[in-house]
Amino acid sequence: MSDAGSDALLEASGVTRLFGGVRAVDDVDFKLRRGTVHGLIGPNGAGKTTLLNVIAGALALSGGALRFCGHDMARRSSAERARMGVRRTFQNVKLFADMTAVDNVAVGLHASTRCGFFGAVLRTPRCSREEHSIRERCIEALRFVGLDGRAQTRAGALPYGHRRLLEIARAVVAMPLVILLDEPAAGLNEIEARHISQLISSIRDAGMSVVLVEHHMDVVMQVCDEVTVLNHGRRLASGTPAQIRGNPEVIEAYLGRPADTPDARA
Amino acid sequence: MLSFAQFLDLLVGGVAIGCVYSLVALGFAMIMRATNIIHFAQGEVMMLGAMCALTSLWLIPALPLVGVLAVAMLSSGIVAMTMELAVYRTLRRRRVGLMNVITATVGMSILCMNAARLIWGSEPLRFPELFASQAYSFAGLRISAQLFWVMVMGIAIMLALQLFLNHTRTGILMQAMAQDAEAAQLMGANETRMTAYTFGLAGLMAGAAGVMLGSMFFAFFEMGFITGLKGFVAAILGGIGSITGAMLGGILFGLLETFSAVFLSSAYKDGIGMLLLIAILLFLPDGLVGLWQRRS
Amino acid sequence: MGSSVCGSGAPSTTCVRMIPKFASEVRRVLANFGIGTLVLFGLFVVPWIETDKFILHVLSLIAIASIAAMGLQVLLGYSGQLSIGQGAFYGIGAYASAILTVNVGVPFPIALLLAGTAAALASLLMVPITRLTGAYLAVATLGFSILIYLVLKNEEWLTGGSFGFIGIPRPTLFGFVLRHPMHSYYLCAGVAALAYFLLARIDGTRFGRAINAIRQDADAAAASGINVTFYKSQCFVIAAFAAGIAGSLYAHEVRYLAPNDFSFWKSIEILIMVIVGGMGSLPGAVLGASLVVGVPELLRELGDYRMPAFGAILIATMLFGEGGLAALCRGIARGFGAVLGRIVPSWQPRKMLP
Repeated sequence: MSDAGSDALLEASGVTRLFGGVRAVDDVDFKLRRGTVHGLIGPNGAGKTTLLNVIAGALALSGGALRFCGHDMARRSSAERARMGVRRTFQNVKLFADMTAVDNVAVGLHASTRCGFFGAVLRTPRCSREEHSIRERCIEALRFVGLDGRAQTRAGALPYGHRRLLEIARAVVAMPLVILLDEPAAGLNEIEARHISQLISSIRDAGMSVVLVEHHMDVVMQVCDEVTVLNHGRRLASGTPAQIRGNPEVIEAYLGRPADTPDARA
Repeated sequence: MLSFAQFLDLLVGGVAIGCVYSLVALGFAMIMRATNIIHFAQGEVMMLGAMCALTSLWLIPALPLVGVLAVAMLSSGIVAMTMELAVYRTLRRRRVGLMNVITATVGMSILCMNAARLIWGSEPLRFPELFASQAYSFAGLRISAQLFWVMVMGIAIMLALQLFLNHTRTGILMQAMAQDAEAAQLMGANETRMTAYTFGLAGLMAGAAGVMLGSMFFAFFEMGFITGLKGFVAAILGGIGSITGAMLGGILFGLLETFSAVFLSSAYKDGIGMLLLIAILLFLPDGLVGLWQRRS
Repeated sequence: MGSSVCGSGAPSTTCVRMIPKFASEVRRVLANFGIGTLVLFGLFVVPWIETDKFILHVLSLIAIASIAAMGLQVLLGYSGQLSIGQGAFYGIGAYASAILTVNVGVPFPIALLLAGTAAALASLLMVPITRLTGAYLAVATLGFSILIYLVLKNEEWLTGGSFGFIGIPRPTLFGFVLRHPMHSYYLCAGVAALAYFLLARIDGTRFGRAINAIRQDADAAAASGINVTFYKSQCFVIAAFAAGIAGSLYAHEVRYLAPNDFSFWKSIEILIMVIVGGMGSLPGAVLGASLVVGVPELLRELGDYRMPAFGAILIATMLFGEGGLAALCRGIARGFGAVLGRIVPSWQPRKMLP
């Protein structure tokens, strides 16, 4: 499993995150290769979302190093990382409920555009053109996730599954290098989950790389090129989905007993 | 430089006014812990207690200090509980946004302040002499009787509060409620009642502060505003939501203010508090208690 | 339009079909020229209808207040930052304009702009404070405005302190002194209309989306690459500039300044205008300003009960809805439309008779 790391987009080495005395993430190594979907799985409380938050910049590193395209990320705010090309979705969908779907997506393009207060108020030609192109790109992003019919709907009025899709559209619209997805399939039914899988594959095919935290094993197995398993904050295993599926330690972590010993109640 | 007598004067003065700030700060801290709101009207609660106490002194000139204190504390307690039961509880039930809650407390503050102005007028009112002698002297040092008793009262009340919170069933339930409302309710605590008691307690503290402040200076309709703000500064200096922090923060702030008024312009005395407020909010948001916790 | 057709004995159905056509014509005209033009026209015409000097003076004060309120609306309603410190910038603008025109001899239009700029520059001191949120921000802005108030009160050499600043000249434009209340009404209403026009354009732009996003979810906004502190600070500057402009107009309207006019209470008044008018609504800010400034002036009998009434209004507004007057008007308009629809069924196209 040790490839040459030359195409490593995102590299976490020895990352640790403490909460008081609790080691939520403990000395974890993690590498996202360009053009891949890398799953991050583990039982509840394993530290997956915490690791994601550290990568995104929502939480600070307690120890270790984080590099993105070779740049050291430790001191950069989440807004800076977003501008550098790392976008994300949240475990509990964070949309702007009072804005329309298309405006929500437009926020995702904020960093790629330039009109400020004076451009807005004076409606300069450059800003009008920019606004127009923003609109077009947003509709495209909505079409990409399958929401183009809902462009003018208020985000707060959308059903749950569509809200998840909308959040992905917002993350995708600027075509970032890396997208961090935090349980995008949570609470979705079979059909919706399959749609998410297809969507994630399309994202990869469009040239973006994905870190996917997920509990939905079907999604993970279908779509990931590589999977890392966390348990109790530590990295348990890394490999292809097939390798992970057969790994006895992983099975034990999930099920709580050795995989091939019969139920012993002696 | 200061002579020792001057230093002692400032020290006593600082601690005395600090006790006032501590009592107001305690109110902020308790309400903050229980309901997460910053009670803008807390200063007005204090003011109303002072006014009621003054009125009782007008009606019954022979009322002893204990009686005056009792009137003030009771009135403030009732006012605070009324505010909670009449307005704040409804706001919480309706899950009204934070901005609206803050605005409502601001509105409450305006209402109380101006109602007081209507009832008692705009002129500052003097408290009659509450303390027998003018100054105590021991070991060759003189301490103003008023300041001395203010300190004693303040510390006694704060100790009583600690005893209540830690050693009575209601007090412990209130603390439990502040930490985890659901669990406390499962243990039999009634949320409405507990929150009302919290406001009532905060009011009691404020009422005592009102008498103390009024006897040291004047009572007038606006007295709650700036003192309330300073009480808030003290609360966050100590660490917002921390009872011990509020007590320490108040005394510390009182000392800081008194001593800096000597060395800086006294016209800007109130400004010191405001600068401190902004500085704490920016650089020390967890207050002194937070600093201590981080060290250990 | 329809009378000859109806009067000629044509079936009543033709008449009835005319009415919805008329309605849609009216709607089209309104849409093309905008309610705005109607309002502008109305504003222009007012002094010709109402010539009482006192009322014009009050209308000028309302216009001035609405400029400050609209600035706060951008800060509070759009970007979600509760500031109880606008009174300080209002005061800085007022005193700056007074000092510049009286002591330095700067012509009024320049003093007006410089006053706004002075307030805007002072608001840059607030940039560190924009990190804070909610009640902490509110209290910090309050502390800041008290500091400014103390400076205005104590620095007598600059501001005249508690003695006040007297002898502020009337506004002059290109040498023409605006002596009559009607002239200053046009000045104030004109500046207010311009402010409204400019600030209303924020909606639907990248800037407007950014501050809206920050209000609703600052973390998600940051995760999309928005520099939250930068935009929050910009809103402070905008609000301060507006308050400064308003302060300058106020100084030249009442021509006498006292520090007590720019204390905490002024900040609260401006806040009440925005809240009662409806958070997030620019027209609401104007409505709120009209209420807060207009009603007490026109009902002087309220006297001492004015402020307690305001406190009660604030509480009531919070209890019964944050939409304020703007939402009330919208509700009334909707209700009105529904009632009309029932009285004249053919206003609703579906119900056309055959």
